[in-house]
Amino acid sequence: MKFFRVIRWIAWKDLASEIRSRENISSMFFFAFIVIMIFSFSFSMDLQAAKDLMPGIIWVAFGFTGIIGLGKSFWVELQNDCLENLQISPAPKGAIYLGKLISNLIFILIVELVLFPMFVIFFNLDVLDKVHLVLLIFLLGTLGFAAVGTLFSAMTVQVRAREVMLPILLLPMVVPVMIGAVEATRGALNGDPWVLYRHWLELLIVFDIVFTVVSFWAFEWILES
Amino acid sequence: MIKQMRRYESWFGAGAGICIIIGLYMGLVTSPPDYYQGEVVRIMYVHVPFANVSLLGYTVLFAGSLWYLWKGNPIVDNMSHAAAGVSAFFTAGALATGSIWAKPTWNVWWTWDARLVSFTILLLILIGYLMLRTFIEDKDKEARFAAILAIMGFVDLPIVYFSVEWWRTLHQPLSVSPRGLSISGEMLIPLIMMAVGFYLLFLYMAMVRTQMLYLEQLREAKKGRLLSQAYL
Repeated sequence: MKFFRVIRWIAWKDLASEIRSRENISSMFFFAFIVIMIFSFSFSMDLQAAKDLMPGIIWVAFGFTGIIGLGKSFWVELQNDCLENLQISPAPKGAIYLGKLISNLIFILIVELVLFPMFVIFFNLDVLDKVHLVLLIFLLGTLGFAAVGTLFSAMTVQVRAREVMLPILLLPMVVPVMIGAVEATRGALNGDPWVLYRHWLELLIVFDIVFTVVSFWAFEWILES
Repeated sequence: MIKQMRRYESWFGAGAGICIIIGLYMGLVTSPPDYYQGEVVRIMYVHVPFANVSLLGYTVLFAGSLWYLWKGNPIVDNMSHAAAGVSAFFTAGALATGSIWAKPTWNVWWTWDARLVSFTILLLILIGYLMLRTFIEDKDKEARFAAILAIMGFVDLPIVYFSVEWWRTLHQPLSVSPRGLSISGEMLIPLIMMAVGFYLLFLYMAMVRTQMLYLEQLREAKKGRLLSQAYL
């Protein structure tokens, strides 16, 4: 299947260039680390306050980090006219979108997986029995974020003031992801019964499906030459 | 299309003026004060039309964006652009009047209620839309990107609404909904009057704005032609 081959090549290309340069992940990681530091300076947290604030802090850090990664995702394509080549290539545009989405998802998830233990250590969270739930929430939240973000990254990289436009367009759009992910993370970290926050996961799943489909369809117009 | 707009726009403007004047008179003078809220309730006659029209405006923007992607007619794009600008104005109006109404009734200027948050998100998306348009030089690209953004936002708004509603909500239920009326006739008539007036006002403003955008584009095109004639 040509379609799936394009997806695989696009994702592989991004991953390979990342493995060689390590630019994207390392800058995302250090940025997120600084965000965590700033947060711990801004709120003087005892154990209880840390528990209440932690879901929000986690997702603010992930959101900002994600924006950095997503902004770079298509910015690298500007060099050597790669974006023009993607535009004129006969490959289905939807496949290019999915390939980019997969590589973005992998980058952001890797950063999240490295950061989460740091949250646990810095803020004395007790998570050992809930790790699988938290990881599921990370995956669902990040997918929704990256689905919209990949499309907007391709869009804003073609306009002036791209560093400003990506967060301005992306953040209002992903409000449901933020609310859903924060509330679900709070439920999971508090050890609430599953029924109390199950609907947040359902919200995330609905958002993921809707926006992956819409962005997949819309990408055709974003990458038209 | 531009010609028809020029011919009929003044009718819409005049109709809007008449409806709003009558509606204001009925709302401020002849309609009774509310049993619980007293005279404060009269702000409803502007708040509800503002909110209503901003949603209508966004629906027009969504329909225009789909239409543009389908047919690629630049005038349709001008219409969407105009609808977005006017709709942003009405959304800001709805938020401002709502905030004024909230102070005496809820005792706060602002609360994180589902409808308030969704309207704020709506305003942010519209402002983002208008900003995005100013940052793209290529007309065709500008229209395409803006249309995609408008469609994404339109799909997003119901999800935003439900997510915030689950989060927390305080807003009173709608007085006029498909499930029936919970408002007396004496208050309903001025409300309808004002709503019709605001709808006409929206159409009038959108028509004028569409023509402005069209003329701007025309001027750019002419300037380009003159320049190319001068230098070739």
